[in-house]
Amino acid sequence: MEGPRPGFPRQYGPDRLDHQPGIPLFPQEATRDLVTIFLLVAMMFFLSAFVTPFLGPARSPQLSELIVPDWYLLFSWGLLKVADIFPQFTIGAGTPLKTEFSAAFWGDLLSGIPVIFLLVLPFIDRGRESRPAKAPFRSAFGIAFLIAWIFTSSLYSIREVVAQRWTAPNGTALIPDGTMKWFFVIPPVLVGLTSYLALRRLAFAPMRRYLVPYVLILTAIVVAQAGAIAANPAALGPAQGFFPEILIALAIVVVPTVLTAFFLFRAPESTARKVSTWAGALGLLAFMGFYGAVAYLDRPTALGWVLSVLWPNMNTLVLMPIFAIGTAWLGTRRPYSTYEYLLNECYQCGKCHTVCPVTKVEDDALGGLNLVYNTFKKQHDGVPLWTCLACDACSAVCPLDIQYSDYILEERRKVNAAMAADGGRRE
Amino acid sequence: MATTGDIRKDTGRTVFGWIKSRFPTVPYADLTRVVLETDQRQLPRSHAEKYELKTIWYWYPLYCLGGISFIAFIVLTITGILLGFFYIPDGRLELGASGDLTNPAWRSMLTIMNDIPFGFIIRGMHHWAAHIMIAAVFLHMCRVYFTGAYKKPRELNWLLGVLLILITIMFGYSGYLLPANALSEGAANIGINMTRASPAIGDKLATLLFGDISTLSGRYILRWYWIHVFILPLVGTALMVLHMGLVWLQGVAEPH
Repeated sequence: MEGPRPGFPRQYGPDRLDHQPGIPLFPQEATRDLVTIFLLVAMMFFLSAFVTPFLGPARSPQLSELIVPDWYLLFSWGLLKVADIFPQFTIGAGTPLKTEFSAAFWGDLLSGIPVIFLLVLPFIDRGRESRPAKAPFRSAFGIAFLIAWIFTSSLYSIREVVAQRWTAPNGTALIPDGTMKWFFVIPPVLVGLTSYLALRRLAFAPMRRYLVPYVLILTAIVVAQAGAIAANPAALGPAQGFFPEILIALAIVVVPTVLTAFFLFRAPESTARKVSTWAGALGLLAFMGFYGAVAYLDRPTALGWVLSVLWPNMNTLVLMPIFAIGTAWLGTRRPYSTYEYLLNECYQCGKCHTVCPVTKVEDDALGGLNLVYNTFKKQHDGVPLWTCLACDACSAVCPLDIQYSDYILEERRKVNAAMAADGGRRE
Repeated sequence: MATTGDIRKDTGRTVFGWIKSRFPTVPYADLTRVVLETDQRQLPRSHAEKYELKTIWYWYPLYCLGGISFIAFIVLTITGILLGFFYIPDGRLELGASGDLTNPAWRSMLTIMNDIPFGFIIRGMHHWAAHIMIAAVFLHMCRVYFTGAYKKPRELNWLLGVLLILITIMFGYSGYLLPANALSEGAANIGINMTRASPAIGDKLATLLFGDISTLSGRYILRWYWIHVFILPLVGTALMVLHMGLVWLQGVAEPH
């Protein structure tokens, strides 16, 4: 490759053409680094002085207590524990390459999935876009897989602790094994879809097409599940005696979700946003109030029985309302300035300033980067807002396709509207 | 033996000359100059500084996570050397005075915690630095993922990073096998079972890594001790130097 293409400096090391003097290594950078190092070492001293690492009894072949590895291996331990849902068989029996698909081998294979994903990642994702908000699929997948999935698989490794610690009054686990197994699927998928919608919306994509079906499907599942419970009290078993409390709990879960979904479907986005805010906040408050009221004012075991209906359906009755309302709220987001996101993309290359005809004649605009950008950044007295010809030469050369004239015209419309509201006179 | 007073002429005749003719000082003086020039070196300015951006890019604090894990690694090296003076890598079961099962490794841990001056602080530093290093490495990986810093031309460095995160996790795993306590026993059992589940070579691989196909003989302590203090540090340090060298060559990947 001969010579750099303009705007794409591909040289690395001492041959880089865009070398500019920077901050000296010593003493400025060294001081800054030392502060970080001292802080870190101080933190370690503090922790080791006040939280002594546990040693425990010497090793012995007779183990009775539950072994939990350090937190960074919990995901692998959880995958090993969930591996018994896979079919167990043997291939190539009698040959040297006999492969036994036991639970332990499935656990090995499952733990290999994140590693394989990480190894092939740079060869799958080959686009140029590096900003997280501009690559919504990659970011949403990362949040769902690297964070939510690893977290839920770590959570599954302590299923015995969860089962022992939270029990219904008759001793059954409040969060049964089946519910915890679904944690591998439902929460990561919800997290991924919600992150994708929220990130696309952050870039001002109209997300209604995705938002309405998503929220409606979640609402339908919640309503169906709650309806099935409410319609058949006989199936509740010993919790049957607390049916009124259970109905209130279901109503607290269902009503805000249905309200949000209905307004998202029927009303303008700004109304849907307000409804989702209030429904979410009041729903949360109502749930907390109900929880406290049942725990302290009602019959002593009532809370345990109500939770024994609610918690086993955690994936649907608890997570789906939260994600439905939260997604509606994030997906109808409208920041204080429509152009906040778009104009913040400017990396100040200066091409717009070069082509702007106004800066050639307007003393006031000389020296600035860009009439529109400077106005947006409040680094100007506002005069360029009115001297701009809206010729769009700046947008034509902008490497990021920022539509400057749109912003200028909207700002002028706002000022004119304010003037009209004041009776047509300025100030 | 007469000397002329001129060090050039006396070379080979005096003690100083004997040394100087074998270890000429001139190249080392040059080296000093290189060091001084390095001292004057300026770090490349970040994108925000170069273009005087008014927006503070909110991901910037996350760019120190790789450095934090390296600092934690240095702390781990220092405290690990100190612990190595007192730790006995012998996990064979013994009957204690009151008939309870102990082993030399676990008893040396008791000595470090109770008898060696500042022993519990050194072990605490080693423990917490390990947790901080693994957390920092994981968050560093998340930062690289979300800012797309693994893209061309940095694919190889990303692969090195994946190897390094595996090595870091193996450091952690081997580290908590060593105290020969109940946790070590349980973790070694899980490790042996998962290794033995590999097709065809399972038992041989388990014997290679753990010295045996069960924890009963206690040989796994010595095996993982050597992996923990020699093999992983050797490979890990080499890869870390390469990892940071590539960052030096290719520059920090900044989103803008």
